[in-house]
Amino acid sequence: MPYVMVAPAMTFLLVFTFYPLANLVYLSFFRYNLISDKVFIGLTNYRNLLFVKKDFIQALKNTALYSFAVVFFTILLAILFALWLEKDSKINRFLQKSMFTPYLIAMVSTAYIWSWMFDVDSGLLNAALAFVKLSPLRWLNDSSLAIWCIVIVSVWKSLGYYLLIVLASLKSIPSEIIEAAELDNTPWLRKFFRIILPMISPQIFFLLITITISSFKVFDSVRVMTNGGPGNATDVLVTYIHRYAFQMNMRVGYASAAGSLLLGILMILTVFYFRFAGRRVHYQ
Amino acid sequence: MAKIEFLDVHKSFGSAKVIENLNLTLEDGKFNVLVGPSGCGKTTLLRMIAGIGPATKGQILLDGEDVSNIPPGKRGVAMVFQSYAIYPMMTVRQNIEFGLKNNRVPKAERERRISEVSQVVGLAPYLGRKPSQLSGGQRQRVALARAMVKEPKVFLMDEPLSNLDAKLRGAMRSELVQLHKQLKTTFVYVTHDQVEAMAMGDCIILMDQGKIMQQSDPETMYRDPNNIFAAQFIGTPPTNIVEIGSENFKLGFRPETIILSANAGPDRAFTRRVKIMTREMLGAETFYKLCLEDGQEAMARLTNSSLAEGDTLYLQVDEDNLYFFDAKGNRVRKTGSQHYDAMVERVKRSHES
Repeated sequence: MPYVMVAPAMTFLLVFTFYPLANLVYLSFFRYNLISDKVFIGLTNYRNLLFVKKDFIQALKNTALYSFAVVFFTILLAILFALWLEKDSKINRFLQKSMFTPYLIAMVSTAYIWSWMFDVDSGLLNAALAFVKLSPLRWLNDSSLAIWCIVIVSVWKSLGYYLLIVLASLKSIPSEIIEAAELDNTPWLRKFFRIILPMISPQIFFLLITITISSFKVFDSVRVMTNGGPGNATDVLVTYIHRYAFQMNMRVGYASAAGSLLLGILMILTVFYFRFAGRRVHYQ
Repeated sequence: MAKIEFLDVHKSFGSAKVIENLNLTLEDGKFNVLVGPSGCGKTTLLRMIAGIGPATKGQILLDGEDVSNIPPGKRGVAMVFQSYAIYPMMTVRQNIEFGLKNNRVPKAERERRISEVSQVVGLAPYLGRKPSQLSGGQRQRVALARAMVKEPKVFLMDEPLSNLDAKLRGAMRSELVQLHKQLKTTFVYVTHDQVEAMAMGDCIILMDQGKIMQQSDPETMYRDPNNIFAAQFIGTPPTNIVEIGSENFKLGFRPETIILSANAGPDRAFTRRVKIMTREMLGAETFYKLCLEDGQEAMARLTNSSLAEGDTLYLQVDEDNLYFFDAKGNRVRKTGSQHYDAMVERVKRSHES
């Protein structure tokens, strides 16, 4: 009977999650372009990805940099803003809601709006730089700056949401604990690192994992704003997979190998987080 | 060691005024108990002393020094919270040590104090444990140790025993009294439980709706209440309050001072015919709920358990055991009132009419 009860959910999982996953790994061992016959080539796809072609490693590096920057700045800013907005007042409630609004906008729209603002000739940002008499920047056309532009957009868009989670966890700290810390004559920084941060660590840890995973899967903002360019300066894993699978001769086998590697990386990262960071998390 | 004074203290939360114009002195070295029904402002007063809920207006003096602008950590006070508020991510040792580290107490001194305090409260074997691995009683001890180790001038306790089971509460009660005898520091203890207040306090401060109804030692509080509220809040069952015909005063008497007999003795001040409504046999004593002829009710607390429901008897109280209260509920005492003898006379006559 219990199996019957979970059957509908399990069926969905099987059809839409486990089967595609297994098929992904399976396809990665073939040369296959959707039309041709599948030809088993063993680990050749992986060898090409990691040792023969240079573009995959570049995409991997870009993704790692992007993810690290997004995770770091999102969590840092979410905590700082939450500490700032913690006190309940009219203006804080208004600010909190305003900061949440970007999260409601579709990523594609956000990316377009920011692309216009980043525009070298007619963009708002260069106009602002000109106003304070600074030389304009090339933003998305600058191969070392472009990835940071995308980081800014991602952090700006999702900050309000993560801020909300951190804010809720801050408010769940019993006020007596904070008062006890005050009576213990605790300096501000020490209070934050020894009391507040450990108390909200389960939520921060959850953010760490979810933001890492979502950053590794970044696609829409990159596709709209730079499409991986200039050169391959902002090429990330998913745009890479997308390009090979659906644009460059439908090299599905090769793209599957890249997808399998992404899957592997996320698994390893998650295990790593639970092993090492998880020890420092305090659960009530 | 510290004397605590409140001078013209006001406190409001938003538009709600909780305390208005309060003046109070808590003596140095005493076990002071703030007691009263919930919402009477007793915890608010405690938080003012601690500095975590400052007064809206007025001054709080610690040993004559105004502490209104001194942050909580620098007042030399320690507090035990109702919820204990021990840091859940720290071990017992770290919890106790935290305040000392913040105050830059040298390591050797810290070690000495921690081992001493943990011996006193019986936590020595548990220093390495996290609070989640401790029982309620042990957590309470951690909170106590954390306060003691700071060697404060004043100990503040906000209903520290209310989360313990009845047996443990009784044991901790006497331990706290002993602790006070050892430390001889000023204790300020908040409770809503009159039994706890009577059992532990040197000085009881009875509060109601932000006002101090009476401040005295337990014995006086019980035997010589200042008003109806004090007479009824302290004691189980509470003091009986009856009205005498159309007189503008009220009469009070403790349930255990009632004499019930088949024949009314002639020399007693207050006499009424009563019927026993209910009988609660509690072992050593029996509570009887009595109905007076005019419909008023009274409780009697007697060692005699042989009376039965439905019995009709005479209720009598001696003059020494009667309390008189004016229309506002304030006590009218024999000394200081020329109406006293007249009131006694009217009570005596009220039965005959």
